[in-house]
Amino acid sequence: MKTAFRYILACATLLIALAPVYWLVTISLKREVDQFTYPPEWIGFTTTFQHYASAFRNGSFAHYFTNSVLLAALSTLAALVFGVPAAYGLARFEWPGRWSENIGNWILSTRMLPPIVTIVPLFLMLREARLLNSLFGLAIVYTAFNLPFVVWMMRGFFDEVPREIEEAAMLDGETRVGALLRIVLPLVKPGLAATAVFCLVVAWNEFLFALILTQTESAMTLPVGIASRVTQYEIRWGEMSAAGVVAMLPVLVFATAAQKYLVRGLSLGAVKG
Amino acid sequence: MKSRIPSGLPWVLPALLILVTLSIYPMIYSVKVSITDASGAFTLANFIRLFQDRLFGAAAVQTTVLTLVALVIEFVLGLALAVLIDSLARARSVFRAGLLVPMLLPPVVAAVAWRLIYNPQFGVLNGTLRRIGVNTAPLTWTSGENSALLSVILVDVWEWTPFLFLLLSAGLQAIPPEPIEAARIDGAGAWRIFRDVTLPLLKPTVLLALLLRAMDLVRIFDQIFILTQGGPGTATETVSLYIYRTAFRFSNFGYAAAMSFVLLAATIVFSRGLMRLMRAR
Amino acid sequence: MALEIDGITKRFGSREAVSGVSLKAEDGEFVVLLGPSGCGKSTLLRMIAGLEMPDAGTLRLAGGDITHKEARDRDIAMVFQSYALYPHMTIAQNIGYPLRVRKRPPAEIAAEVRNVAGRLGLTNLLNNLPRQLSGGERQRVALARAIIRRPKAFLMDEPLSNLDARLRVEMRAELKHLQHELRIITIYVTHDQAEAMTLAHRIAIMRDGKIQQFDTPSTIYNRPANTFVAGFVGSPSMNLIEKSDEILGIRPEDVDVSTSEQPGWTPARVYVTEEMGNETIVVLKDAVLKADTQITTRMAAGSKLDFDTPVWYRFRPEKLHRFQKSTGARLSD
Repeated sequence: MKTAFRYILACATLLIALAPVYWLVTISLKREVDQFTYPPEWIGFTTTFQHYASAFRNGSFAHYFTNSVLLAALSTLAALVFGVPAAYGLARFEWPGRWSENIGNWILSTRMLPPIVTIVPLFLMLREARLLNSLFGLAIVYTAFNLPFVVWMMRGFFDEVPREIEEAAMLDGETRVGALLRIVLPLVKPGLAATAVFCLVVAWNEFLFALILTQTESAMTLPVGIASRVTQYEIRWGEMSAAGVVAMLPVLVFATAAQKYLVRGLSLGAVKG
Repeated sequence: MKSRIPSGLPWVLPALLILVTLSIYPMIYSVKVSITDASGAFTLANFIRLFQDRLFGAAAVQTTVLTLVALVIEFVLGLALAVLIDSLARARSVFRAGLLVPMLLPPVVAAVAWRLIYNPQFGVLNGTLRRIGVNTAPLTWTSGENSALLSVILVDVWEWTPFLFLLLSAGLQAIPPEPIEAARIDGAGAWRIFRDVTLPLLKPTVLLALLLRAMDLVRIFDQIFILTQGGPGTATETVSLYIYRTAFRFSNFGYAAAMSFVLLAATIVFSRGLMRLMRAR
Repeated sequence: MALEIDGITKRFGSREAVSGVSLKAEDGEFVVLLGPSGCGKSTLLRMIAGLEMPDAGTLRLAGGDITHKEARDRDIAMVFQSYALYPHMTIAQNIGYPLRVRKRPPAEIAAEVRNVAGRLGLTNLLNNLPRQLSGGERQRVALARAIIRRPKAFLMDEPLSNLDARLRVEMRAELKHLQHELRIITIYVTHDQAEAMTLAHRIAIMRDGKIQQFDTPSTIYNRPANTFVAGFVGSPSMNLIEKSDEILGIRPEDVDVSTSEQPGWTPARVYVTEEMGNETIVVLKDAVLKADTQITTRMAAGSKLDFDTPVWYRFRPEKLHRFQKSTGARLSD
């Protein structure tokens, strides 16, 4: 009997976790007249896709969506391109004293910086470089954002690959870089994939930097686009929720795929599991 | 002749440069901005103003309250969930996947959803409560001065308890089964085992989880921006929102920079303290 | 205070890890469950402990049915292979935990802990943590924790296998002595036949979830019930030679070897010799027998025999074992 109770409790918690999301989806599919009816309708309402149409086909959300996609992809790629070699360098080479640990910790600590500390100068710096309101500028910032993550995660994965494998390859005539590309990377593919997903999700969800560094329509990302509408006087909730639903779908898909590695990345590898 | 330069340096250099340019340099620049006035002369006016600023004090209090309350609730719930889900024989991964959803959403989207839900007249929360007979007149959620902070905390709890659940769950699974079996044989019941064996062994994970979450709570921004914009009035204005307002509404970058530093200092002190606790045992 | 195991069965999926096992261990007896990995001995032990529940059969301890009782209600103590000490508690706290759980007064706990620690030579380590102790010391702590409450039975799951060879032999002797003093019925699991032979009053040899033979060490050695038991106990193992209608078994020490021809003895050639220091193991090959049949024999130390040296051997007739070819069961003599 106790088992049944536990399952019921777990289901209840699951419901609480998912209900708000479900509600958002229903709002996006309800006609405006149905959205705020009393009593609230959870099922059995007339569905309409007009909000999706007006947000994306007629409205600017399609543009924001594209911006977000580009931004996430670019910054993730850049973070990997710079971060993976750095992680490899830290994991594989001889470092004097405790450099390796210290550099690692230092890289890690940049993650602990409250963004608000760096945002003021970053804003000023980007303004000077005329990179405000540009996807490129934001991508650079996001890359710096994701670098510590990438270095920390990938270093852990590299540490798990025995050195002997590359040493055997190099004895066979392979170069360091070649060994990394052809031997080691294929072995850490799942870790690499998980790290990439992480960076994508972080970039996709990011709000503060995007808010401050992109103020023009052309450069806005999805979160900023949504926020800009919500703070207006007349809020078109249908469009808002449609945009919200679209904003959350890619994340859910990706993150569920990388579920196993969520813990490791979130706890920065500190919990062995 | 052995080169003094570590051979791994070229691998690490590009990443280091990026970080230095985009994290360290801005920080230094920030220091400069906070201690210079309009004409470029050195001044501590910003920091002096900080100590006298009642708004900042209020923001600091609100941030602390929010951080502590949310942290405690999220921890207790997260632990309870971790134990609960861990004890289920099947469908564990299904529950886990579902429970992670709140945490994965863009915080902006979660905030939009909750803003809808919280609307006192038309939101589904008050709507459902009214349906079962509760008087919803005094329930103003994010629109009421006294209830706004709590409402924001609730959203954060909904959104981030899964994070603690995940971390603590992993910690629970990393505990070796033998001491638990030995305790069973030694005569201990379930609660006793949890108290004497499981919790002490979970301590490092607990501290890590608290540290990570506290770091994020202190700089909370996205949800509050969408839910209340710091209002009503300044009821939910946390430090990061105040800094944002100062920098980007009033264009007072120097003062904003000074405040950022105090925030950073507080964060470092707190995290050092917690890390020392982590290493103690 | 006997332990009666009757028809105990445990299934994992479609596989039967333990199949209808029955045996009775007498009060104060040291019973060893011996067998290769996967034979079910640890599973059986865990069912006696209450960490797993059987799918069929009954367990009775001191006359009472404990088949489905919770581990903590069985009044049994267990020593794990990995010792399973509480890593965050001091040695004193570890040892005293069973009493603390039973809510005995702190003064009494302290006294008992001191008593037991003294008995096992742990008095100076009481304030240390498990990670500061050596393997042998941790093992003694695990023992101390087991004996402090004077349970009705001891269960031990390969407690010595994590120790190095010399320590293992030392601890073996200590364990035997301790058990003799305490006179508590002990069920001990191991895959090491030497351990089983030296410690047990009776050995239960297991294979694929069933008991092959349950007897005293000497009976098992001298009258093994089947070819599996015959080959498992004794080192080097018994020679098993296939004949047309039966299997012959002869232990290496019961083979006489001579470098000169003897009347009635069989010719063979030396395949390899291993000088052990106290004796020489000489492996012979007889061209007449099945192709790769090797006969292991023991000879006096320093017997220098080159590869392929012709020798003559015979099996001492009174020491010959005969087994049925199809089942491997012992044929009555």
